[in-house]
Amino acid sequence: MIKTGKLASVSILTALFLAGMAFAQTDPGVQSGNRGTGATIITSDPNGFLPFFQDGQKRFTDVESVSNSASGNNGLGPRFNSNSCSSCHAQPVEGGTGAAVNPQFAFAGSSVAPKDATPYFITANGPTREARFPFFFNANGTANTSNPNGGVEDLFTVSGRSDAGSCSLPQPSFNAAQQANDIIFRIPTPVFGAGLIENLDDSTLLTNQGNNLNNNFGIAGTFNHNGNDGTISRFGWKAQNKSLHIFAGEAYNVEMGVSNELFTQDRPLPGEDGNGGTGLTGLPSNCLNLTGTGYPEDTSNPTLTPQAAVLDDVSAFANFMRLLAPPPAGGVVLNGQQVSASTIAAGGSLFSAIGCATCHNSTPGTTQVSNFVPALSNAPVNAFSDIEIHHMGTGLADNVSQGGAGGDQFRTAPLWGLGQRIFLLHDGRTTNLNAAIEAHQSHGSEATNVEENFDNLSTGQQQEILDFLRSL
Amino acid sequence: MQRRLLYSLVILGFFVSLLGWAQDAQAQNVPKNGGDFSNNTQPLTKVPTGVILVKGSWSSASDSVTPVPEGGDVTNNVFRDQYFGMTYALPNDWTEKYKGPPPSDSGRYVLAQIRPADTFKGPARGSILVTADDMFFTTLPAANALELVTYSKDNLQADYRLELSPTATKIGGRPFTFFAYWSPEAELHWYVLATEIRCHAVQFVLTSRDTKLLESLMLDLNKMELPAEANPTGGTGGGDVPVCIKDYASGENVIARVDPVFTEHRFNAVPVRIIIDKEGKVKHIHFLSAFPDQTKAITDAFKQWKFKPYLRDRHPVEVETGIMFGRGPRPATPAAQNVATD
Repeated sequence: MIKTGKLASVSILTALFLAGMAFAQTDPGVQSGNRGTGATIITSDPNGFLPFFQDGQKRFTDVESVSNSASGNNGLGPRFNSNSCSSCHAQPVEGGTGAAVNPQFAFAGSSVAPKDATPYFITANGPTREARFPFFFNANGTANTSNPNGGVEDLFTVSGRSDAGSCSLPQPSFNAAQQANDIIFRIPTPVFGAGLIENLDDSTLLTNQGNNLNNNFGIAGTFNHNGNDGTISRFGWKAQNKSLHIFAGEAYNVEMGVSNELFTQDRPLPGEDGNGGTGLTGLPSNCLNLTGTGYPEDTSNPTLTPQAAVLDDVSAFANFMRLLAPPPAGGVVLNGQQVSASTIAAGGSLFSAIGCATCHNSTPGTTQVSNFVPALSNAPVNAFSDIEIHHMGTGLADNVSQGGAGGDQFRTAPLWGLGQRIFLLHDGRTTNLNAAIEAHQSHGSEATNVEENFDNLSTGQQQEILDFLRSL
Repeated sequence: MQRRLLYSLVILGFFVSLLGWAQDAQAQNVPKNGGDFSNNTQPLTKVPTGVILVKGSWSSASDSVTPVPEGGDVTNNVFRDQYFGMTYALPNDWTEKYKGPPPSDSGRYVLAQIRPADTFKGPARGSILVTADDMFFTTLPAANALELVTYSKDNLQADYRLELSPTATKIGGRPFTFFAYWSPEAELHWYVLATEIRCHAVQFVLTSRDTKLLESLMLDLNKMELPAEANPTGGTGGGDVPVCIKDYASGENVIARVDPVFTEHRFNAVPVRIIIDKEGKVKHIHFLSAFPDQTKAITDAFKQWKFKPYLRDRHPVEVETGIMFGRGPRPATPAAQNVATD
């Protein structure tokens, strides 16, 4: 009896302690309904781009096969993270980020990846993810921190698929990488409003950067640049990609294994091609040209009709993303109650006053004139991002460099659409906005002082900021 | 007896080696962001958590002896920055929990970020942010610390209300300019105390909801040790440190110059400060932000540079100046409105 009483006391004390650790303010959570997110930005269409948007949207949802696809969607693999753009970019609709139910969890052992095992970090209701090893491995399995890697290690293979011939490949050693603490993750970035970001002139971004420098928070970001022409690059977690075309082409090749007119070869894993000193010489010959039609697997279609069908998939994806409207802001429901517009507005003012808007600018400027559609011309880009890369400290660093961005630098994530995102930060490590905000402070982060200002607000004020963020 | 002595030495050596390992582990947990970096190139069993091993453009220096701005540290609750000649004992129960980011390619430093410790029992919290802006490289339209603060006041965003225009004051017996503003929405106040040292605008930004706390922090700052040159309009070195002169590496001052040969085509700004000795040779190089291949190319080039010695009172003295390589950041234009809500 005495032992039971002691156990009860310990349990009560533990519960009280853990309750004290919880945040006093509440993340309103993902807002229900899609608010009209996923619609096209096209209102006036003098150049006839709407059919191209619709065609691209349809192709975005196509499921790829390795070969012999009844719908002609061939080229998957030999390695992939998923078999459809919209399987990863799904929340709240196609073009978004990862969904609540992770489709990757169902792949292993099914017809999608019959011979594969589910990686340990893929769970039924966890974030849709890709994985990278920041460093190559030594022969004895330890990580060699003098030999950076950072490339995508595709989760699945086509081994055992009926449409993949005799191709059989091992999956990367995710468990060994975990043992060596040599693995990081990324989740899909949403692409709503991407056409507006693409159409921002460099001068506009540079002028905005100059204005942002006038702050007393210790913040001073920079830009990533495209290696070909030196202009500011802007897509991806580290702003490593210049245009939506490149963004789509790289993803099609890296995430789904479909070679295309921008990335014309099937991609081996990092190291599989001799990178990092492995001595390997690429994919085995029985895993090449699995469609049987040659390279690249995705090409233009000169003989097809209507006009939009002539485009290769990558161009179609780019058109879709380019012509997606930004996500509309909306109301917020917290604990079953509608949050007032005045509360949300107050949260927006606080968000700016304490310094969050120094990086998460409500708008970095307006677009240049567009040759696509009028809606992309001279339009404000209310992305809540300066498109700069910033040092985010040891807490968020992933030790992967991309272009001019080092292992601790990330693009200011655009916050439009935040109200409908489930998994937060670049690796989906949390679903709670409080934790995401907390993660902004660590050794070497530009955001530490601003996060401290957030901590110094009252609970009510912090709640207003959370309400505002979930209204985006 | 001899065996006992040897045994004691072995035990002592064991504990000394343990101490070294512990220090290394501690160093890995808290990465340095100043001075000459010694990157650990030994393969490790596990990739250490919380350590930035893969750096992009970063700060470095040609030696680890000459002080650099980002080399300051908080030890035993005292902030010391040898480069700026500052010593500041933190208020009781205040601490530096997180070190700041590396210097930016626009010349901005976070020297220290000080906040109440977990043991702090005071009624109000706040923060003390110590920054420096290299006046050779800032893109803000200002020639000295006073102009920088004045620009900040003239371009205060709509979220804030002015409490006090830049006003002359003294901190630690040295001239400072004091500027204050607040956010009615956040009920937060900012007290900015700025001076100039070695051609850097050094600012202490005190933030709190409680103005009494801010006033007591200001009083506390008075105990700070500062160099004699500290002045919002004229902290230009001299004395025990090199004289700092903007754009000294130009025109007739340069007797011999070789352009760096960059092996990779990059597009980042590379701000560099150099100290030129009395004979006109480059004695010390400080890269605020550069990739390793850029530091090598520029260092190799500087070995062949020769300057006309700078004379003060007809005697040659050391000079510190700045040169921007690569693509320089664009100067700021007047600030646009930047509010979260229209």
